[in-house]
Amino acid sequence: MNTHVKKISGEPADLSRRSFLVGTAAAGLALGYSAVPGLLGADQALAAPAKFDPSVWYSIGSDGLVTVTCGKADMGQHIASTMAQIVSEELGSSWKDMRVQLASNDPKFNDPVLGAQITGGSWSTMMNFDAMSRAGAAGRIALTQAAATIMGVPAGELVVRDSTVSHPKSKKSMSFADIVKSGKITKTFTPDELKAIKLKTPDQYTMVGVSVPQLDIPPKSNGTAKYGIDVNLPGMVYGAVVTPPVRFGATVKSVDDSAAKKVPGFIKAVTLDDKTGSTTGWVVAVANTYANAKKAAGALKVAYDGGPNAKLSSESLLEEAKRLQKLDDSGQFFVKDGDTAAAFGTAAKVLEAEYTTSINIHAPLEPMNATAEFKGDILNIYSGNQFATRSGAIAAGAAGIDPKFVVMHQMWLGGGFGRRLDADMMVPAVQAAKAVGKPVKVIYSRENDMTMDYSRPLTFQKVKAGLDGDGKLIALNHDVVSAWPTQRWGIPDFLSPSVDKKGPLDAFTVNGADFFYSVPNHNVRAIKNEMAHNATPSGQLRSVAPGWTFWAVESMIDELAHAAGKDPAEYRISLLDGKGKNDGGAQRLRSTLLAAMGMAGYGTVKLPKGEGMGVACVSSQERATASWTACVAHVAVSPSGEVKVKKLTVATDVGMQVHPDNIRAQVEGAALWGLSLAMYEKATLKDGGIEQTNFDTYTPLRMSQMPEVAVNVIANGEKPTGVGEPAVTVIAPALGNAIFNACGARVRALPITAEAVKASMKA
Amino acid sequence: MPNLNINGRNMSVEAAGDTPLLWVIREQLQMTGTKFGCGAGLCGACTIHVNGEAVRSCQTPVSEAVGKKITTIEGLSAKSDHPLQKAWILEQVPQCGYCQSGQIMQAASLLSKNSNPTKEEVVAHMDGNLCRCMTYSRIQKAILRAAADMRTASNAGTERRPT
Repeated sequence: MNTHVKKISGEPADLSRRSFLVGTAAAGLALGYSAVPGLLGADQALAAPAKFDPSVWYSIGSDGLVTVTCGKADMGQHIASTMAQIVSEELGSSWKDMRVQLASNDPKFNDPVLGAQITGGSWSTMMNFDAMSRAGAAGRIALTQAAATIMGVPAGELVVRDSTVSHPKSKKSMSFADIVKSGKITKTFTPDELKAIKLKTPDQYTMVGVSVPQLDIPPKSNGTAKYGIDVNLPGMVYGAVVTPPVRFGATVKSVDDSAAKKVPGFIKAVTLDDKTGSTTGWVVAVANTYANAKKAAGALKVAYDGGPNAKLSSESLLEEAKRLQKLDDSGQFFVKDGDTAAAFGTAAKVLEAEYTTSINIHAPLEPMNATAEFKGDILNIYSGNQFATRSGAIAAGAAGIDPKFVVMHQMWLGGGFGRRLDADMMVPAVQAAKAVGKPVKVIYSRENDMTMDYSRPLTFQKVKAGLDGDGKLIALNHDVVSAWPTQRWGIPDFLSPSVDKKGPLDAFTVNGADFFYSVPNHNVRAIKNEMAHNATPSGQLRSVAPGWTFWAVESMIDELAHAAGKDPAEYRISLLDGKGKNDGGAQRLRSTLLAAMGMAGYGTVKLPKGEGMGVACVSSQERATASWTACVAHVAVSPSGEVKVKKLTVATDVGMQVHPDNIRAQVEGAALWGLSLAMYEKATLKDGGIEQTNFDTYTPLRMSQMPEVAVNVIANGEKPTGVGEPAVTVIAPALGNAIFNACGARVRALPITAEAVKASMKA
Repeated sequence: MPNLNINGRNMSVEAAGDTPLLWVIREQLQMTGTKFGCGAGLCGACTIHVNGEAVRSCQTPVSEAVGKKITTIEGLSAKSDHPLQKAWILEQVPQCGYCQSGQIMQAASLLSKNSNPTKEEVVAHMDGNLCRCMTYSRIQKAILRAAADMRTASNAGTERRPT
C-alpha cells in the first residue's frame, strides 16, 4: 500500500509535530497549525521570505466573520465549503458567518496527513476531518475562556451556539465579534493539548450531516467567481501556445515569425527551453491581446523534429502491451497470495480474457492556463492547480530559480478531474514572462488542451481465472499493462514497494485489483508500458487505476459466474465472505451491493426481451481509503447493437456524510463520468499525436444522453470516505454485464461501441 | 473603433472587426463571467445574448455585434436575482461552475420565449451546452423551477392589476 495512505489508517492525524496557535492578529483572531515539513522542497520553503502571506487555517474578524483558508483545490467538489462546515461544527459558528478563501502554496496550508498541497484520491475530507475539527474546537475553547474571564463566570457553564457564547444562568451573552473586539484572546495549544481535545460525538452534530448552502455557489451563478483564466494584472500581455503534431518528444528546429510580425500587437515568439520535461517542442506567441496572440500563433511557421515517438499509434502501444504481458519476467507483483500456478493445475475450468481501455482526455471546460509575474525576487503564479507543492517547483524549474521564491495564487478550478495535478501550463507562462519582461497570461486553445493532455493511459489487462468443480474461484492471475502516471512525478513517496521486491511500482495503475473478494491464490502484476509512458505521458484522470482495474475484475467475475451457472450478484456475495484480510470491507461491500440490488429491483423485476440488468461492486479508490460502491445498470440493446442506458442505480457506503446533498451531486457526477468514459469518450494516437482536437471528435456525455440515475447513500457512522471518484469506476463493468444479460454479447473494450456489441452477439 | 451596447451601456472598444466578441468582453471590458471553452461553438461556455438570442460569443465577430443589444451574465439581472439564478442556488446546481454562466444564458433565452417548457424542450434547447461535471439533472430541475416561478410571478402580477 502506498506510504502516504498508510498514515490514515488508525487514529487521528499525527499532529505531534504541530502546535496550534491562537492569538489576536491585526484583523482579528487567527488560528492555525504551525507548519510541518513535507515533501519536495517544502522544508526550504519554510525559510521563505516574509513575503508569503501570514498564513492561518481560519480567522475570525472583529465583524464576527469566520474565514477559512482552504489548502485544497476546489474544482467543483465544494471542498472549501466542506472544510468550513467541519470547522463550524466544532467552533459553534453560525453558517451565515462562514467565508472561505483559497490558500497560497505556503507550507502552512499543507495537508495534515500528506504533508504537501495536493488534491486528489478523494482524500480531502477523510484526511482533514480530524484536523479541521480540532482547529474548530480549539477556537471554541479559546473564545469560551476569554468570554468566561470577561463575564466573570466559570467557562464550564458557557454554551456556544450560532457564533454566540452565552451563560444561561446569568443570561449574559457575547457574540464572537464582541469577544474578538475585546482583545482578550491569547491561548496556545501544545500538541498534547490539541490531541486531548474531546471532539463532539456524531449524536452531538448540528452542522456535519446538514446540507448547508455551498459557499461557492452564489458567485458561480452570477459570473463573479474568479478562475485562473480570469486573472488580470496591470501591464499583462497574453500568450498562445503552438504545440507540435507529436504529443511528446518533438523538438523545434526553426521558427519563422515573419508573418507573425505583421499581426498587430505581436510582441515575441518564445521557444520554450523546458528543463522540467513538462513540454517538448512548444513555442509561445506573445501579443497585447489573446486574440492577437492566437493570430500570431497561427502565423508562426515552426519546423519540428518529430522525435522518437513520431511514428507511434494506439495500435503500436497496444501491441507493445500485449508483448510485455506475455513475458514471464515483466513487471512487479502488487499482490501475490498463495500459488496460482499450482491451483490452475487442479482447476476444473480455466477462463482467460483480455480487457482494454482507450486513451481518455480530461478536458475540463476551463482550458489550461497560467499567469506568471516576476516581482522583485518573487515569481507569482496565478493558476487553478491541484498540486501546488509540485507545480510551484515546476514553475521554479522553468524560471531557473529556487522554489522558495515562487508564490502560487490559487484560483477556483474550472474543472480538475486530475488534469490540474500537472504543471505544464506554468512553463510557457513563466518563460514568456521572463522573455518579455511583463506579466503573461498563457491560455491553451481547446486544441492545445486536448492534444497535450496528460491523458488516462491506454491499458491492456489479461485475466486468467480457475474454478474448482463447484464453480468456486480458486485462482486468479491479473496482469495490468499501462503507462505509469504517478511514477512520472518522480516522488518516491507516491510509489509502493513490490511484493516480489523488484523495486517500487506505481500502485496508481493497479489499485482496485487488490479487491475484497476471497481468492486463495491471487496474483496481480503491474507492468509498465515504457513505450506508452514515453509517447503519451499519462496523468491521473478522475478515479485513476480503479477506472480500469475494476473494468477487468468486475467483467471477469461476471464471466465466471455465468461459467459456473450462478447468478452474478449471488456469486459476488459468496466471494465477499469477509475472511482474513477482507474482514470488514467485504461485509460493507456486500451490504452495499444488496442495497443497490434492492433499489433497482434486481432479480425481481421482469424485463422485456433485449433488456438486461448488470451488477458491479467496487472498493475504490484504494483498499485503505475505500468507499464501498455498487451499481445496477439497466440497459436495452437493439439488434444492431445500439445500447440505451435506461437507468443507473448506485449505492455507496461513505461512512459519514458531512454534506448529504453534495455527496449525491458528486456521486451522480461521478457515475455519469463513468458512463461517459464507458460509452462516449475515446482518444486515439496516430503518428505520435492525439487525433481528437475538440468537442466534435472527443465527445463527453451531453444532457440528451443522460439516463435516469438513482443514488443511495449509506452512512453508518464509520469515518467519512471520499465520494468524488469511486462511482466512476463501477459503471463500465455494470454496463458491460447488463449488455451481456440483455443480449448475450460480452464486450471487453472501452468505450463500448454498437459495432463491438453486434459483433459479439454474432460470435 | 467599434461601439457596443452591452448590458445597457454604450462602450467603445479597440479591436479589429474579426475579433471574437468573447475576447473583447473578457479582456477589454473585463467582464469575465462569460467563459472560453472551445473556441468552436461546441461547448456553450461563452453563451451571451445578442438582441435576446443566445449566441456563442467565440463565434461572433465584434463587427456583427455593432448596433445590437448585447447581454452577458453580468447584465442578466440587476442583483443576481434572475429567476434562473435563484433557482440555480436553490437547486445547488454548480460544481466547478465554469460552464454555468453559459448554461444560465442559454436557459434564459428559452424561458424568455417559452415560459412553460417540457423536459424534452429543455433538453433540446440545452444540448449544445456541455457540463463536464455532469450537473445536467440539476440544470434541468433548476430551469423547470425557474419557469414555474416566473409563471407564478406573472400570474400574481396579473391578479394584482387594477381593473
